[in-house]
Order: sequence, then C-alpha cells, then structure tokens
Amino acid sequence: MSHQALPPPLDDGAPEAPLTRRTALWLTSRLAMLAGLVGGYGLFAWVGGRFMLPAHTGRLHQLFVTLVSDVPDGGTLLYRTPDGRTVNVTRRGQTGAATDFIALSSTCPHLGCQVRWEGQNDRYFCPCHNGTFNTEGIATGGPPGDAGQALPRYGLVVDKGLLYIMVPAEQLSMGDVAGVVEVTSPVGPGHDPCLTCVQARTPGPGSWGRPA
Amino acid sequence: MSDVRGWIGERVPVSIEGIAAMSNEPVPYHLKRWWFALGGTPAYLFVVQIVTGVLLAFYYQPSPATAYESVRYITEEASFGWYLRGLHRWGATLMIAAVVLHQMRVFFTGAYRKPRELNWMIGMTLLTCTLMLGFTGYSLVFEQLSYWGATVAANISDTVPVAGPLMKQVLLGGETYNDRTLSRFFILHGAVLPVLLILVLMMHIGLVRLLGVTEMTFEGEDPAAKKQFNFFPEHFYTELIIGLTLMLLLSALATLVPAEMGPRADPQITPEVIKPEWYFYVAFRWLKLFSGTTAMLSQGFIVFVMFFWPFIDAWLVRRFKYADISVWIGVVGALTIMGFTMWEALVAH
Repeated sequence: MSHQALPPPLDDGAPEAPLTRRTALWLTSRLAMLAGLVGGYGLFAWVGGRFMLPAHTGRLHQLFVTLVSDVPDGGTLLYRTPDGRTVNVTRRGQTGAATDFIALSSTCPHLGCQVRWEGQNDRYFCPCHNGTFNTEGIATGGPPGDAGQALPRYGLVVDKGLLYIMVPAEQLSMGDVAGVVEVTSPVGPGHDPCLTCVQARTPGPGSWGRPA
Repeated sequence: MSDVRGWIGERVPVSIEGIAAMSNEPVPYHLKRWWFALGGTPAYLFVVQIVTGVLLAFYYQPSPATAYESVRYITEEASFGWYLRGLHRWGATLMIAAVVLHQMRVFFTGAYRKPRELNWMIGMTLLTCTLMLGFTGYSLVFEQLSYWGATVAANISDTVPVAGPLMKQVLLGGETYNDRTLSRFFILHGAVLPVLLILVLMMHIGLVRLLGVTEMTFEGEDPAAKKQFNFFPEHFYTELIIGLTLMLLLSALATLVPAEMGPRADPQITPEVIKPEWYFYVAFRWLKLFSGTTAMLSQGFIVFVMFFWPFIDAWLVRRFKYADISVWIGVVGALTIMGFTMWEALVAH
C-alpha cells in the first residue's frame, strides 16, 4: 500500500486536470478494491440469503404406509408425512399394483385449509372458500378452479405386497412420527374427517374397516 | 443535498465532523507493519462468526434428539450449508490463533506495561471468552467429541475445591449430561458469551483509544521520519485488505478441508481415541500428567499468573533490575505450550 499523499479528488469547479499515469493507477486500484468488496461481500450476502431459503434437493424417500391387502377397493386411509402433512391414500382397483392407488394431499392449494370428501357429490370440498376437486385432485370450482390448481399428488410404490409412499427428503428432517392416522370405510375416494358419521353412511361395495 | 443534511441534522443532532474526528485516531507508524494489525484480525473474525453463527442458528435444534440431525441437514442438504458451517468452524480456529498471536505480540513487545495493565487483563478475559466459545461451539454438534468433551469438562469442574460441584451442575443443568444440557450450551454459545465478548471488546478498544497505541521504534529507522499517520483511511484500508484476505483463506479452507461430522454421540461408548480441539491440547496433556485436583489447581494458578502478569512483571523487574526478564519467561512459556500441544497431537493416548 502506498503511504505517499494521494492525488487530490477532482473538483467540478476546477479546470480539468490531465489524466496522468499515477492518477490512472490510483483510480484503477481503488475501483478494483471497490469491485472486490462489492463482489466478495455481495456474493457472501447471496449465499446467506440462499441458505435461508428451504433446500429442495429433489430427492424422494420411500416410507412404508400399510399392507396392500389391508386396503380394500374403495377404501381410504389418512396418512401423515414426517413433517405433519396429511395425505388421502385411496384404492381404486384390485390388481395389487401401485396404479390401484392414488395419494392426494388433503391440503387445499389455495390457502392451506383441509379438504374433505363429499361422497354424495363425488368430489373433494374445501370449506374455507368453496374450492372443489375431482377424484384425480384436479380443481373443478372455486378459487383453486379459477387458478387451475390441483391437490398435490404423491408417488406410490408397491413392493412384495407392501404399500410405500414417496415423500421429499426435506420432510424427513422434521422428526415427527409418520404413519397412518385414520382409516375410513370405503364411502368414496377421500377421507372424511367426520368419522363418527361413518355408521350413518350408505356403505359402498367391498365394505371394510379396522376396529376402532 | 445540504437540505437533506439539514433535515436529518435537525432530527438527529449528531456532529458528523465530531464523530469523524473521534474515530480518526492518529496511530503510530509501526502499524504499517502487518504483524501489528493482529488485533483487528480476531475482531474481524468475530464478525464473521456472528454472521455465520446467526445463519446456522436458523436451522440448529438444541436437543439431544434433534441436534445431530439438524447439523447433518445444514451440512448435507441446506443450500451452501456446508460452506457456512465450514466458515464458522475455520473462523473459530483462526480467531483463537489470531487472539493468541496478538497476545504474544503484546507480551513480547511489553505493550502491557504501565499504564496498560488493565487492558492486558481485559485481553485475558477476551481470550477466556473465545476459548469458552470454542468449547461450547463444538459441544453443539452432538457428535462423540461433543458429548464426551462436555462430560470430561464437567467432571474437571467437579474437582475444583468448594465451588466445583456447583460449577458442574450449572454447566450441565444436572448431575450428568441430560436433555437440558445442550440448550444450556446453545444459550451460552449463541447469546451469553458473544454479548459478554462484545461488552469486554468495547472496553478493550475504548482503552486502546484512550491510552493510544504503544509507540515503538525499530533499528534502522530514520529518526526524522513521520511518527504517526491517520487511522482513516490508511489503516482502515489495511484492515479491509486483511478482511478480504481472511475471507479468501476461510473460503479455501471451508472448501478444501470441509467441516465434517463425527459419529453421533453415544453415552454408552467412549471412543478409543478422543481428543478436544487443538487449542485445548495443552490442558488435555496436563490432565494426563497430574491427578484431577492437582492438575486443576496448577492450571488455575497459571491462568492467575497470566491474568496478573503486568503486576508480577513489574515486581520482577524491580527485584532483578532486568527489563527483559519477561521475554525469557515468555519464551519458556511459549515453548512449553507448543511442546505440550505437539506432544498431544503426535500421540494417541
């Protein structure tokens, strides 16, 4: 670092000074220093900001749900992921393959309320803003329908008669216990939180259920 | 522009010129030598530790059930988590090294002598805080070293006569390591010790400002040469360059020698070979050479001597009429510390 006196800054009112080699070097070194500071600490600020955002590794983990034979055709179970999200897993076939099942999040993509299955209308219904979804989870009405949204769908795998669900790796770090929360009679493809009403409903074909 | 200045000046009646004059301390010319900029280095690294530590705290969960997994998440899954954890880990190592080098420079140049005795003692408090930050920091990972390090440290505290058992209970939050221990370390590491360090650091810098930096002359210097220069901008630029160099060094270390994770803490199994971080090697070796209470009391005595060294040195100089006696004692002390550190580093047990 030079310890000699620095050239005086250019004054707007003064006659323009010729650009000497020394002035140019002085200016260049300071600009380089400034660029280094802004670039270096700016990059660090970006790294810190990126760290704050949730990581999306894209990796999926396979978690056991239940025995395939425990879910009859038309039956639904409510599964809780390790981070506490709930998923309706419904059986719609009898081949014993993963394609028999559909796993749809029970969280409305509009503002996060829990949807419920309406057997009489053959649809999922969100009580918060009247959003409706068909059996595939595609929004058919209400704000989610207007926005073209759908209930998030989870992958399923069947291996040696066991049903597994695929959940994002980041959901595993929450530490909560995952597993089946509730099962309902096969009144439709979705879980109805009104479990006490099960008895009053018209049972569908292949009626099943676990003892309470 | 002057309107804006006037508007702000009316509402915040602070004299910019006064602040500039107060901060623009004339500093002795020997600070042009890089070796004398070591005091600013740990201060800069402390800022790095605060920034990276705050970021890491967004993900860290201080309980035995979640701590290890949250550190694994930071290291392996969070974006740039490996880099920020690496910066924090290497920042701690370099900060302790810089504090020790700064202290050695102050010691061997006699800069602690009258009227700067109290600032030496404040500096010793800063060193103690830094070491405690290091210890509580690696205890948070909840790997084997964290668990057994904390257990050993608590039992060392227990050997201190009278206050020992209480110290152990305060440290662990119980008789043994338990569910509440990690949250204690976390609060100590992330709140109590940093705040204490900031307060003591303000006193340290305040005294440096009030007493001025010790002026030194070196052989071959022109006696007519300028004796002082302004802190701003010249010394400030030096500190900026040191800061950028440290960031480059830290980034290189975090990338080439990344912070890894040892095996998860297991209260049932003490590893065959277990060592603390390098800065505790001296104390660790000492504990192997002497019985618990003897080792603790002798270490306490050494720390006491180091704290009150300026007064002990003044007495020795008066007694033996030899001004450089501290240099020879310092050489012996430094060689002993280095020897013990090397000894511990080179052997398994």
